[in-house]
Amino acid sequence: MDLEKLLDIGNQCIHSEPPVCVASCPVHMDVIALVSEIEKGDFKNAYKLMDSKIPFARLIGKICDHPCETRCVRKDAGGSIHINELEKAIIHFGYSSPKKTLLLPKQKGKVAVIGGGVSGIVVAALLDKKGYHVTIFEKSDRLGGRLWDYEGEILDKETIKEELQMIEKIGIQINYNVEVLEDDLPGYMDQFDAVYLGAGHWEKGHPIDFDTFKVDDLPLFIGGQIVNKNPSIIFSVSTGKRAAISIDRYIGKISISASREREGSYESLLNYKVVDVEPVDPVVKESDIYSEEECIKEAERCLKCQCNECIKTCSHMQKYNITPDAYIRKINHNERVILGTHFANEMINSCTECGLCKEQCPVGIGMKDIIHETRESMVARGKMPPSVHEFALRDMEFSNSDSFSLVRKQPSKEQSKQFFYYPVMAFSQYLRGLYKGSGKTGYLFYPGCQLSATHSSYIGEIYKHIVGTIKENEADLDVGLYLGCCGAPADWAGRQDGMNDTVAKIKSVWEEMDKPTFILACSSCSSTFAKYLPMIQTISLWEIFDKYGLPEVDIKKGKRLLNIHDACATRHDTKIHESIRNIVKTLGYKIEELEYSKDKTKCCGYGGLVSYANKEQAKSFQEDRIQESPNDLLVYCAMCKDSLVRDNKRTFHILDVLYGKEDNNVILQQMPTLSQKLNNRKKLKADLLKEIWGEEQTMDASNKYNFVLNISKDVYDIMEKRYILVNDIEKIIDHSRKNNERFYNPETSNYLARLKLENVTYWVQYEEKGNEIDVNNVYSHRMEVVEE
Amino acid sequence: MNGASENKVPWICAKCQKELVEEKVKVRYLDGNFEVELLKCPQCNHVFISEDLALGKMLEVEKGLEDK
Ligand code: SF4
Ligand code: SF4
Ligand code: SF4
Ligand SMILES: [Zn+2]
Repeated sequence: MDLEKLLDIGNQCIHSEPPVCVASCPVHMDVIALVSEIEKGDFKNAYKLMDSKIPFARLIGKICDHPCETRCVRKDAGGSIHINELEKAIIHFGYSSPKKTLLLPKQKGKVAVIGGGVSGIVVAALLDKKGYHVTIFEKSDRLGGRLWDYEGEILDKETIKEELQMIEKIGIQINYNVEVLEDDLPGYMDQFDAVYLGAGHWEKGHPIDFDTFKVDDLPLFIGGQIVNKNPSIIFSVSTGKRAAISIDRYIGKISISASREREGSYESLLNYKVVDVEPVDPVVKESDIYSEEECIKEAERCLKCQCNECIKTCSHMQKYNITPDAYIRKINHNERVILGTHFANEMINSCTECGLCKEQCPVGIGMKDIIHETRESMVARGKMPPSVHEFALRDMEFSNSDSFSLVRKQPSKEQSKQFFYYPVMAFSQYLRGLYKGSGKTGYLFYPGCQLSATHSSYIGEIYKHIVGTIKENEADLDVGLYLGCCGAPADWAGRQDGMNDTVAKIKSVWEEMDKPTFILACSSCSSTFAKYLPMIQTISLWEIFDKYGLPEVDIKKGKRLLNIHDACATRHDTKIHESIRNIVKTLGYKIEELEYSKDKTKCCGYGGLVSYANKEQAKSFQEDRIQESPNDLLVYCAMCKDSLVRDNKRTFHILDVLYGKEDNNVILQQMPTLSQKLNNRKKLKADLLKEIWGEEQTMDASNKYNFVLNISKDVYDIMEKRYILVNDIEKIIDHSRKNNERFYNPETSNYLARLKLENVTYWVQYEEKGNEIDVNNVYSHRMEVVEE
Repeated sequence: MNGASENKVPWICAKCQKELVEEKVKVRYLDGNFEVELLKCPQCNHVFISEDLALGKMLEVEKGLEDK
């Protein structure tokens, strides 16, 4: 995996981009942090934050001309946040006089500051702090320059004096009543290591570098109003701060131009939209400054602007409390670990690969492909935890084995001729379809493994229905049947080898059948075919229904409201979205669209095999989706139904409403167990062979054992949770009885038997009652005991 | 990993009708090889692993090794 490219993608994420208020502030006051402290009521901390960004915050904070407020996005939703009023209140409630600091020796170099106005005292204070010996040359008899313009209005004399006295106290040398002229500058430059010119006004123009404020190759730096060409106080502070950085680097002999991007005001890449934000008016102050309560209310209006577009819709990122930029850094680290623990494995296997984040992201970052590639890389490097996807992969193997897999052409005319007599033919569109058999397979119905497991009783009906309707419209094209698994589990698990085998097999069937169009009924099949088998033409079963007619159903108009849950794998398949809605409307239901639907749909929690890797994570997806929908849910993917059906949540598969009587039918709200799903598929194959092709299959009699199992609901629940199948339990018990290889508990007359099947050792606790056996507990482990 | 915390269990070996004894047993998973005290039949060496052990300590070690 190309980790450099990956990190580049991570760097494009604008989650960490500042809000406009911060970016437009010349000193980048962290407004969000500030208001957050206010909301906590911690004005002391808020003041500390201010003080860390602005020297003399106690004064400047009050007179700042707040360019942030003009840009604040709240302006279009009630009014800008009154940041300046908040800062004034922070000074009032949060200021405390600084602790006495030790005077450090000033040995780093000598700096002259010409002009003791706003930018001059900022430069002086900052460089003094860094250990420079600073001398201020001021032409009047006091420091502060324009600060005094505010005396009596916003600032009081005592405070100004107190703050300015600090400059002297910390050991900065001040020469009052010294007017420096252009001609004097060379002398100062000889005498000092660097000279800062912040005189407010200067006749002669100098070629200033506006990133560093340095003049040519001279040790001369210029800031403040000479550079700003405007009266903004905060701009003077900003240029002073930046010139101080340059002087420090210059004297320290390090590059003064390196990484100086984004100093001063700049444009943030964050384009925070307020269209959905409810307008709230600014808090009006009762006296001349905000009270603490008023501050808190005003702070609460701040939107804390940040790009969270993907995170706010994704249960996965929420659960791991992670943003894509940080996620990508974790993947990068996980991929590079050679010796040591791969801490991100579980997280990487907990993404549903649903693709919603990419739809949400303003800069087009999608975690799906990244996660997918990471899983493939983990598998390739032998670092994918073997237990995570094993059950799903075993299930896929089963679906593609002789136990389920089946390919058949439409029963030939010859084969079916015994049915072709009058009254039967008249009533059966299916038989008329068979009668028109052409021998050329134009369509191949591919219901997929999951639908066949959960809705097996419908498959035969559907097949007959589509033979009938398709033959009526396209007489020369027969409809065949293909049972199997498209390989989605291998894809999700990052198993390229398993995927390639499956795809090759499907492709060869398609070629043998002379390239028919596949009729797909599963959303995962749709996306797998699109990704791996683009040469095969496909159409969804729902489009066939919509186009050629629904099965004979009893349509009663005016039925209730349904929310449609689109399958995430069909996110971009507008034809499926449309045909599902058409069918639902034809059946007489009203549809209420969910906020997240169609291309913005959310995952049911099954995607990416998350339910195998992290049950809790799957659950949070399920709950998120269920709580979004106030009505009964309609789904069209077997896995979505499995995930979203709940005791108190009615979820219908579209086939349930097409074929079932959905009203008050409890059976429709129960899903088969894992073992039943296995057997349903076996049985489906046998049933279809018999019913449609008249072939008897030699069933591998499941009652080949000389005992029958009793399994309670509780034990079934345990089996589901621990992925243990009835078939396996039978094998273990049979083995233990034949070899008497088991433990016995004389107190409870229970046996405990174990058997290793492939990579897993299973334990079954049971009680024998003649040839009936009560299964009381099951568990398993992967660690192998070396018995010698 | 120590399985011996449960040295009193009601189980006996069904085949040999012996009470289980605690002994060092080798276990392995992926690249990990350990010797742990486990209960087993003194005669046929059939090793007993309880549900608590399998789903507790053992699972933890398995997961740790899988993430190595
Ligand atoms: S709403 Fe808050 S974070 Fe957003 S721009 Fe305004 S002050 Fe800044
Ligand atoms: S693909 Fe889906 S689950 Fe994964 S990070 Fe994106 S939105 Fe979340
Ligand atoms: S949507 Fe997500 S990935 Fe995209 S920029 Fe925003 S936080 Fe980053
Ligand atoms: Zn024994």
